[in-house]
Amino acid sequence: VLQGDLGPFNPGLPVEVPVWLAINLKQRQKCRLIPPEWMDEIRDQERKEDTFTPMPSPYYMELTKLLLNYASDNIPRADEIRTLVKDTWDTRMAKLRLSADSFVRQQEAHAKLDNLTLMEINTTGTFLTQALDHMYKLRTNLQPGESSHSQDF
Amino acid sequence: GMEENFLSLDDILMSQEKLPGRAESSLPRLAVLLGQGAGSAESVPEGSKLEIPLWLAKGLHDSKRRIISVELPKIYKEAWRTVFSADANVVDLHKMGPYYYGFGSQLLNFENPENPEIAQTILQATGGGSVLAVSDSVCSPQTFIARFRRIMDSSQNAYNEDTSALVARLDELERTLFQVGQKGLNDFQCWEKGQASQITASSLVQNYGKRKLAEVDG
Repeated sequence: VLQGDLGPFNPGLPVEVPVWLAINLKQRQKCRLIPPEWMDEIRDQERKEDTFTPMPSPYYMELTKLLLNYASDNIPRADEIRTLVKDTWDTRMAKLRLSADSFVRQQEAHAKLDNLTLMEINTTGTFLTQALDHMYKLRTNLQPGESSHSQDF
Repeated sequence: GMEENFLSLDDILMSQEKLPGRAESSLPRLAVLLGQGAGSAESVPEGSKLEIPLWLAKGLHDSKRRIISVELPKIYKEAWRTVFSADANVVDLHKMGPYYYGFGSQLLNFENPENPEIAQTILQATGGGSVLAVSDSVCSPQTFIARFRRIMDSSQNAYNEDTSALVARLDELERTLFQVGQKGLNDFQCWEKGQASQITASSLVQNYGKRKLAEVDG
């Protein structure tokens, strides 16, 4: 394989592979997937903190979805995990909206969102950046001067 | 921004909107065009009231007031500005606009003494970056936030809900924003349900098929 070696593959022994390969092998009924450890203990601290807590995996949403869709028989308490992860997502999105709101309110021009995952950023990203673009333009309206040149005919 | 985008269809439509104005000098042989008289030779007398589209007003306007002077449309005047700062959310910006923000921004070109207030109100109505301008507590923070907050919440939250009532009251700029928000959410939901990996016929092809069928029937 191009990026690093995999295997060797022995029956019955755990081995680490990329998710795409795991899914593929699973679909061909050649393997059993082992759920990542974090899948049990997610969410609890998310509610307590105001900022975003670090997630167990940068692709927690993606992993849960893929694993639950293709290998739910390998994952203990799959339904429970589905609800938990969904809850986490909802909590974080609500937080994101809340902080976007106060970001806008406090005239900030930049913000730090360290522990947001890509999936979360992408879902609201375009909306947020466009909204901020408009606001920036409207705000520059306020500053008369160099931009308001009058043309003489 | 200060200038419209030359090729933006929205901006072109926006600059068609009429603006109340007054002729500062007589305009020979233009009475027909400006709806002031019948004969093609008649001129528009000095001081007569005009309703001219924004693009024309911009062209004729000169800071020395030789040709025309421009008045503020009433939604940008003091009375309405007060309404906006009381609660921006209750205003139907589509009826008032539909290019409330864009038109208002362009109005600033006419060097009206109330310019700062207008610019501020437009900002406040969006709810957003206004904060900088409004930090002198002209109005309470909840008001100008409100519109942004509501657009965001309803576009992101109201999955499968009927948003038509809300959208009907949005300015064109807000509508695009709203759609962007909805698209983000919808795409995510599709992916979550696994629809992203299914291949479906594009709506174009589907319509084409229907049309062909209709032709065969007819």
